[in-house]
Amino acid sequence: MIKLAIYGKGGIGKSTCTANLSAALAVRGLRVIQIGCDPKADSTVNLLGGRAVTPVMDWLRAHDDDPGEYEEISAVGYGGVLCIETGGPTPGLGCAGRGIITTFSLLERLRLFERFQPDAVLYDVLGDVVCGGFAAPIREGYAEDVLIVTSGEKMALYAANNINSAVHNFEDRGYAKVRGLILNRRNVPGEDAKVRAFAESAGLPIAADIPRSDEISRCEDMGQTVIEGAPDSEAAKRFFALADKLLTR
Amino acid sequence: MSIVSAVLPCYAADTAGVCSALYEMGGMTVVHDASGCNSTYATHDEPRWETVHADIYISALTEMDAIMGNDGKFIADVTAAAHDRKPKFIAICGSPMPMMTGTDFDAAAAEIEARTGLRCFAIHTNGMNDYLAGAADALLAVTQEFAQIREKAKGIGVSILGATPLDFGLSGTVGSLRTWLTENGFSVVSCLAVGQIDLEHAASASVSLVISQTGLKAAQYLHARFGIPYVCGLPVGTLAPVIADALRRSAQTGACAFPCAMRKPGDHVVIGEGIAAGSVAAASGGRVLHPLACAPQIAHPDDLHVPDERSVKEALEGLQPAQVTADPFYRYVLPKGTRLNALPHFAFSGRCFETEIPDLIGRACR
Repeated sequence: MIKLAIYGKGGIGKSTCTANLSAALAVRGLRVIQIGCDPKADSTVNLLGGRAVTPVMDWLRAHDDDPGEYEEISAVGYGGVLCIETGGPTPGLGCAGRGIITTFSLLERLRLFERFQPDAVLYDVLGDVVCGGFAAPIREGYAEDVLIVTSGEKMALYAANNINSAVHNFEDRGYAKVRGLILNRRNVPGEDAKVRAFAESAGLPIAADIPRSDEISRCEDMGQTVIEGAPDSEAAKRFFALADKLLTR
Repeated sequence: MSIVSAVLPCYAADTAGVCSALYEMGGMTVVHDASGCNSTYATHDEPRWETVHADIYISALTEMDAIMGNDGKFIADVTAAAHDRKPKFIAICGSPMPMMTGTDFDAAAAEIEARTGLRCFAIHTNGMNDYLAGAADALLAVTQEFAQIREKAKGIGVSILGATPLDFGLSGTVGSLRTWLTENGFSVVSCLAVGQIDLEHAASASVSLVISQTGLKAAQYLHARFGIPYVCGLPVGTLAPVIADALRRSAQTGACAFPCAMRKPGDHVVIGEGIAAGSVAAASGGRVLHPLACAPQIAHPDDLHVPDERSVKEALEGLQPAQVTADPFYRYVLPKGTRLNALPHFAFSGRCFETEIPDLIGRACR
């Protein structure tokens, strides 16, 4: 089973990459779960035609008890991808990281993985590994592999380096390993060289190179991934190539 | 707000359950919590603290350690203490603050084990659940770790599972249970978790006798792993011969039995832990209100789950029982005219009625 967590600087395109990768894996015939681990709860919106699934934290806020079935806190999107969003507390209050841990505990109680029997689970995680909660997807057997999304922008590379270092800190604990970078191009000057230099220094391969593409924006305006809305586009081909690479590992 | 208690206290926490279950096991139990909290787990919730030595520690978690995720200090302190104390094993468990910060106790246990060479396991408590959860997980962990098949006892050997002072105080119930078993032709091969424990012998029994749900997970493990059947019930009053027969039959057939769920009809209500309260109800006639979680095979269809004060009150108002057997603190939620038979429960009222906790074995139940 593919168990993958995707990290990266805020706004770098993690949700775009994760949703497209989920869609590509689904087109290849896999049963896929995508879990958005971000209080904004917008990871899966482009798998759901622009609709939003009720985030787990919202569900728990509205009810005194756990949901009885995982179907109450999930929605089926493009290609049959099961979409779940952790959501988070009221902005400015509570603990978003704890919300992720609580969601994962709930999914275990609901026996999500035993019941859905996924071939791939993708975790789309907010920004940096800022606290224990945001490390939850890479521990206890949830994700085994991490991909970091970056562009050639200085702050994106800075965040990528932080994330890579944070995951390395957990080497003794048997957590997930960083397997590579997704270069999500912003077409900044010298982007290719900057990212390749970072990848070389970190000892990480560039697992995918996603071109800056108006097709991605156009599809997202329709609540779609390019896998759904522009399957013949160059961007879609790159996501299919990444999916195939994961399948052959 | 439905779970707010205005009158009733709450039951001892899962953390106290771990400490109680492991108190006499010869291991070192470390709760990751603020300094001072040990007095809650190992004294307020622990009647043995004056008389029985135990290595129960608190990590003295500070605000900055929690904010900074300073697991390294916790791991180093446990390692240093283990080198000094040389315990049989190390158990670490959590409290609300590490729950909030997402401390990875399994990873910490693995690091402690690597550094000390001692078996170390994490019990996943957070202080938000009741004692049954923590005690049951702790007894399961040590049973998985240490129970072995030794030479089978002659006749029918019985492992007593689920004997902690949180359920039975130190009133003599467990000692009387040993005597009762012996007088009925059984031999006690182990007792989890007070007195002569003989944990390593637990898998040598012909049958397990589960006297509270703190022992249920260990019993289910011994059944699955070694094929040892279990009987759930406490031999109180008229239920005693039923349990003796069930033990003999289970030892012979390998089938599990649940005498505590065999209710006679009656207008009596018992409130408490599922197996002990169920046994009292089975002996006296009536039904059980379960304020704690209750495994389905322990409960009778007429029983009611009452997880909060409001549901306790509503259930009692609806039933209007002539008498209720429960901890004395339940006096304050009884309908007018209902008589209380006091059955103090240490996990509920602590030392308040400690001297009134009865020796349940052989006691008339009404």
